[in-house]
Amino acid sequence: MTQQVLFSVFNGLIIGAFYALMALGLSLILNLSGVINFAHGGFLAIGAYLAYTLIPYLGFWGALAVAPLLTAAIGLLVERLLIRRLYGRDPLYSLLLTFGLAFVLEDGTRYIWGPSSLPFEIPHWLATPLSSDFFFLTGYRLFMMLLVCAAVAILFLVLNRTRLGMRIRAGSGDLEMVSALGVNVRLLRNVNFGLGIYMAGLAGVLAAGMLGLQPTIGSVLIMPSFVAIIVGGLGSLPGTLLGGLLIGVTSGVVTVFFPSASEAVIYVMMGVVLLVRPHGLLGEEGRIQ
Amino acid sequence: MAEQSINPRRRRILQAAATVGIMQMTGPFIIKARGEQAIKIGLNDPLTGTYAELGKNEQIGCEYAIEQINAKGGILGRQVQLVVEDSTSADTGAAVQKARKLIDRDKVDFLLGNVNSAMALATAQVSNERRIFHVVTGGHTDAVTGSDCHWNVFRVCNTTRMETNAVAKTLFNKYGKKWYFITPDYAFGHTLQQGFEASLKQFGGTEVGADLVPLGASDFSSYLIKAQAANPDVIIFLQAGQDMINALKQAVQFGLDKRFHLAGAQQELEVLDGLPPNARVGTWVFEWYWKQPNVPHVAEFVAGIRKRNGGKVPTARHWFGYVATWTCALIANQEKTLDAVKLAKATENFKLPPEVALMPSDTFYRAGDHQLMPTLYVGHAQEKGSEAEDLFQVDELVKGVDAALPVAETGCQMKWN
Repeated sequence: MTQQVLFSVFNGLIIGAFYALMALGLSLILNLSGVINFAHGGFLAIGAYLAYTLIPYLGFWGALAVAPLLTAAIGLLVERLLIRRLYGRDPLYSLLLTFGLAFVLEDGTRYIWGPSSLPFEIPHWLATPLSSDFFFLTGYRLFMMLLVCAAVAILFLVLNRTRLGMRIRAGSGDLEMVSALGVNVRLLRNVNFGLGIYMAGLAGVLAAGMLGLQPTIGSVLIMPSFVAIIVGGLGSLPGTLLGGLLIGVTSGVVTVFFPSASEAVIYVMMGVVLLVRPHGLLGEEGRIQ
Repeated sequence: MAEQSINPRRRRILQAAATVGIMQMTGPFIIKARGEQAIKIGLNDPLTGTYAELGKNEQIGCEYAIEQINAKGGILGRQVQLVVEDSTSADTGAAVQKARKLIDRDKVDFLLGNVNSAMALATAQVSNERRIFHVVTGGHTDAVTGSDCHWNVFRVCNTTRMETNAVAKTLFNKYGKKWYFITPDYAFGHTLQQGFEASLKQFGGTEVGADLVPLGASDFSSYLIKAQAANPDVIIFLQAGQDMINALKQAVQFGLDKRFHLAGAQQELEVLDGLPPNARVGTWVFEWYWKQPNVPHVAEFVAGIRKRNGGKVPTARHWFGYVATWTCALIANQEKTLDAVKLAKATENFKLPPEVALMPSDTFYRAGDHQLMPTLYVGHAQEKGSEAEDLFQVDELVKGVDAALPVAETGCQMKWN
């Protein structure tokens, strides 16, 4: 039993890291632009499908590099044409827009690639366990975890050590002041949205290696990511990371004892956090209005 | 000037003659038009959401059947028309509303559907209230032809118990007596597990563990860790669709297929097609398979569906739609009526002709519970067969009558009201 719990904790960290990757993209967009991007799952699916299309030409690694960039390009376009018009309005407008966009993206992928699940293959040597004792630790999962760590580290470096990052962080705190200081806020929001969608695209390619590739792949993964943000604390990127890891581990451990509650427990956890600490574990009170 | 020279009386006669002439032409025309009003078959199936692909495939099967029926003179000499409604995949209320719309507004003569078990049960209630002949295409839960059976409702796809009974003995004899279940937490999964448990008890095997997994789960790793720790002979996956793809893909990545036998009851070509080749493993039951070289008419059916299905071979879902539609036509033409009670009586023990059954043994609707007794195909998934789409190797054919519970044990109390 102890071994099972330990395995589940370790396994939960892997899954949690994946949720965190998705949630960080969502959180970036939410923090700077105040947009609750319900279409994030749709972008994730686009990233996965683009990778599937590119694999025959570029191989898995080429597709992993290019597909998230293409997804980000689509994200930039969507921000410029649609999302931008709703900045400064009630968040409900952007929520409704992205909610509708999620359907458009899902049905768009269904229209282009068909409703059937597609066989997304990863290199064979990655799809095998590293040892027979730790059978759940496959090369792919280890790679995925390392990639998530690298992506998170790069994101935090960009946010803390570059001019762009400082502007994004400053904008998240007081956009008006940043604008008054002569920063091109439109461009800043555009790039920030693209960065968030890049992370969705990357999560999509990684997810397709573990799950079946079909148009609903994004919608099944979007809710845990929202929960990760709320648990970790709105407005806090480290909080989002913590939230993702926590829900992954909690869900994994609960599976050992009450398997049918493995999904419900993350929502219970969210409810408890909202009751006890409404701004989340690392969130700052009143940060997001 | 010439007009003025026409005698008014003559004009009157010409007008009268013309009127009579037109009446001669229109009268029979109207009657003829009434006679040729199309027979309507309503299909209420999911065209959006999780089950969209399965619903669409059933629709293609129905359309192909209707094309053939019309080419052979239709039903009672009238052409047949398919009226399709999207039931959605998960909103049972919407499915019921669509069924009512098909019956009350579109005035369909027959109702077909649904893929979703809960929707099949709910719409069967509606068709029973409205006294419409109804063929359930793809909802597998036992209650449809069990505790919730109706005089007007027939079912093409198998019950979950038929599927577990068909494969249980093979699993027990060939792969071992310790089983672990990974079961989706809803009616379909529960009844499948109960079926296997009954077989396990009968053979003297052991259930070393069982997990109920929420429907739509994406990550199965925690359940697989538990299953591995229980050290079973066979891990039984009872998922369907996308859930089955996620579960098998992860189990194979963990190398569990090398250490345990992976198996289950119902498997579908749509699922095997969506898996990477190395994850096409395990022992399963197919409800119909496209590659049956010794069964007459199958090749023609495969060719016909390929033309309508983007070049892809038919799956069991195409066959469900095809058989359900042909059942309506065959029985109505045999009885020369559209009266639902007469049709239902005649469908009891009705044997499908070989060009519709497309199966190696007799295929008929059993009296008492209205369940089709087909052949079940027990076999194993394969990475690659002789052709690209040959992803299943049939090892054993099981007759429906041998796999199904006796009518007395199904819980069906048929009331002809």
